[in-house]
Amino acid sequence: MYQNVYKYDDMKRSEHMAVRETFGWYYFTHQIVEVTGQDSDVFLDEIFANPVANLKPGRARYTTMLNEQAEIIDDVVVFRMEDKRFWVSTLFAFKMLQWFDAHKKERDVAYKNITEQWDMYAVQGPKSRDVINSLTELNVNDQKFFEIRENRIDEIPVKISRAGFTGEKMGFEIYVSPAQGAQIEARLKKAEKEFNGRQVTEFQVMTLTLPAEKGFYYMRDLMHTNPFEVGLEHGIDWNRTFIGREALAEIREKGPEKEMIGFTVDQADVQINHKCFGGPGDPVLKDGEEAGRVSKFTYSFVLDKNIGYILARKGSLKKGDKVMIHGYEAVIADKPFI
Amino acid sequence: MSKKIDERLPREIGEGVLPNHASIQSPWGKLMSYHDAAHYCQRYTAVVSAAVMQAFRILVPDYTDRSRLLCENAYNRLWYAQHNIPGYRENVMDNDLNVHPFCAGNFTGGLTGDAGDDGLLMCGRVNDFGSYRVEKELDVCYWDIVGSELCRSTTQSLQACADSFAEKRHKGPKLEYHMVEAKGCGDRHCRIVAESREKFPMPEHEIWECFGPVATEDQIKYTTEDYTVRESMVFREECNYKFCNGTCKEDDSTSLYGPYVNMTSGCTYLIPAIEQLIQEGKAEESFVNHVLKCVAEAAGKAYFAEEYAKEAFRSVTGAPRDVDDGRLMGAHIEMFLQAMNIPYTIEAFNKDEVIYQIDRTALSCYMGRMCMIYVSYWYGMTKTLVNAMWSLWEEPEGAAENMLRIKIAKKIDKFC
Repeated sequence: MYQNVYKYDDMKRSEHMAVRETFGWYYFTHQIVEVTGQDSDVFLDEIFANPVANLKPGRARYTTMLNEQAEIIDDVVVFRMEDKRFWVSTLFAFKMLQWFDAHKKERDVAYKNITEQWDMYAVQGPKSRDVINSLTELNVNDQKFFEIRENRIDEIPVKISRAGFTGEKMGFEIYVSPAQGAQIEARLKKAEKEFNGRQVTEFQVMTLTLPAEKGFYYMRDLMHTNPFEVGLEHGIDWNRTFIGREALAEIREKGPEKEMIGFTVDQADVQINHKCFGGPGDPVLKDGEEAGRVSKFTYSFVLDKNIGYILARKGSLKKGDKVMIHGYEAVIADKPFI
Repeated sequence: MSKKIDERLPREIGEGVLPNHASIQSPWGKLMSYHDAAHYCQRYTAVVSAAVMQAFRILVPDYTDRSRLLCENAYNRLWYAQHNIPGYRENVMDNDLNVHPFCAGNFTGGLTGDAGDDGLLMCGRVNDFGSYRVEKELDVCYWDIVGSELCRSTTQSLQACADSFAEKRHKGPKLEYHMVEAKGCGDRHCRIVAESREKFPMPEHEIWECFGPVATEDQIKYTTEDYTVRESMVFREECNYKFCNGTCKEDDSTSLYGPYVNMTSGCTYLIPAIEQLIQEGKAEESFVNHVLKCVAEAAGKAYFAEEYAKEAFRSVTGAPRDVDDGRLMGAHIEMFLQAMNIPYTIEAFNKDEVIYQIDRTALSCYMGRMCMIYVSYWYGMTKTLVNAMWSLWEEPEGAAENMLRIKIAKKIDKFC
């Protein structure tokens, strides 16, 4: 009998639950594209669906990047580091730079991939603020969500951002030069004992189990969708131009054709294929008809059951509906799950 | 002889009459779709590889020695390519496969295996993808006729990519890649499971023993027959005719050419191992060539040995009933070269003789010995597809250095 790769795995469970109950830390370096120049704010404001030109220095915002058909082609966090200097945190810098090239026009803007200059450590969970305060020269008590500040750990210059991909109310990210990353790691290891936390080492915990419980997306979930289909339309400022605006306005008018919804599977040991491991995802059958495809399938250690997302035909499924996926019964559920 | 090129009907397929097709064409106007051509390449090169494997088995009779050599060679070859082709590894990791910076360890080797499998039309699915365990299951494997030694060595090329990727990322778990099932051994699927030995201990083993069982047998997801697939994502409607992996690498069917159709086959594992034998003085080059030639000729003769095979060939190529000469063999070669996207020119194509000049580099895939293997293979085919009065040989006169000039004509040879 096939065994659930999460449920019985004590390592994954303890790493996951450390984030939910105390704190977990992990190496979580993303790619950073630095954008500078007099037109940098105007340029980025056109590139992204959500406005970024109105960000104050030191603040950040999550936004989608759309193509002309309003399909999401990336989802990123944009930091305004200075008035005319931005960081875009992405996992697809290569494509992003090509996209920037195609839309730069004659603007006074420059951009480069500076990923190699910065390592990032995520410190997430209820005790994460205490952990950060125990490490940093300046306390972070009044630091707001999506705010990034200069700080020091053992005289090492760092940037501390209050953010994360776990859905935890308290979560921080430490940006540091790779040359000094090992020293930060040593300090975090030491903090494990004091704050009863642990290092998260499993990719699936970082990218699947923790974010999925809270309804977060990874870009693979979003490919070939638009913000209305996946509930990311909030915060779009329609009183400005941005790439994809026209097509998105049409979708707003007509209504989206699809929607991303949650599901759970009570049976523990099941085999369900999902897009986040590649491929089209298993079909979801409602009364024998295909209602959608499985986008993500993973496990909630908090609920102790299988959870996932379905990209479904709009209105075809509602909470409580029973559906069949690869021969297993699943129930449509609210997302986020916890 | 005339060097005349006979009428090839229709001369311009569809031009101005029909839409231009994504297809290849026989000399008599029969079209083979891009889809079928891509599959044809895979089957064709697998059959050639199976013949070369038989030669390799003659050269290295012991199964263990043979498997070890293939495995070590595959690992070292991929390791070398990853480290010595400027920018290659970085391009694959950062721009193609989207190996994210935080992906610590060597589990991301699974990404290259997954994309490579699908590109080679060996479709299946990723069942698990984590820092300590990766599982990939194939429903189709064109290489399943070549030999289990090849199955073993493919695992090691994957291991080399994985280990090389790990060097460019943060330190993390090291996974050992194992092939648990192999279609080449009669299993329903090919199944690679990579496990961290720290988390899932197993006894140590030699490189060629990277063949199951594994420690996490109870986590294996076995796809039953009714859920298996026959086509790669690029040919499946449910995938919108695009390959898309877990890290958002997206490709359509045009991506099949280049790294997959032209650059990878069983021979790309076997020939380098044979070259290693020669370099290490374990085999005489003249004997190696003798064995390769003998095996390839015999395999070629077997290809069209039955009359019904010839009938089927006529049906596929649209060869007229009254054509029963070297042009049949020419058509076979042309269909293959077109399907493989190998440049060639036609010097003669008539009832007396057929002459082609073929780009050696493209045909051999940078393995010079492959040209000799193909010539021997096609020679053998000529004997049964046409008849024993006909022959095929290399006649280099007048050809540029990088062109393989082959001639198909009647020939008496008292020592053949």
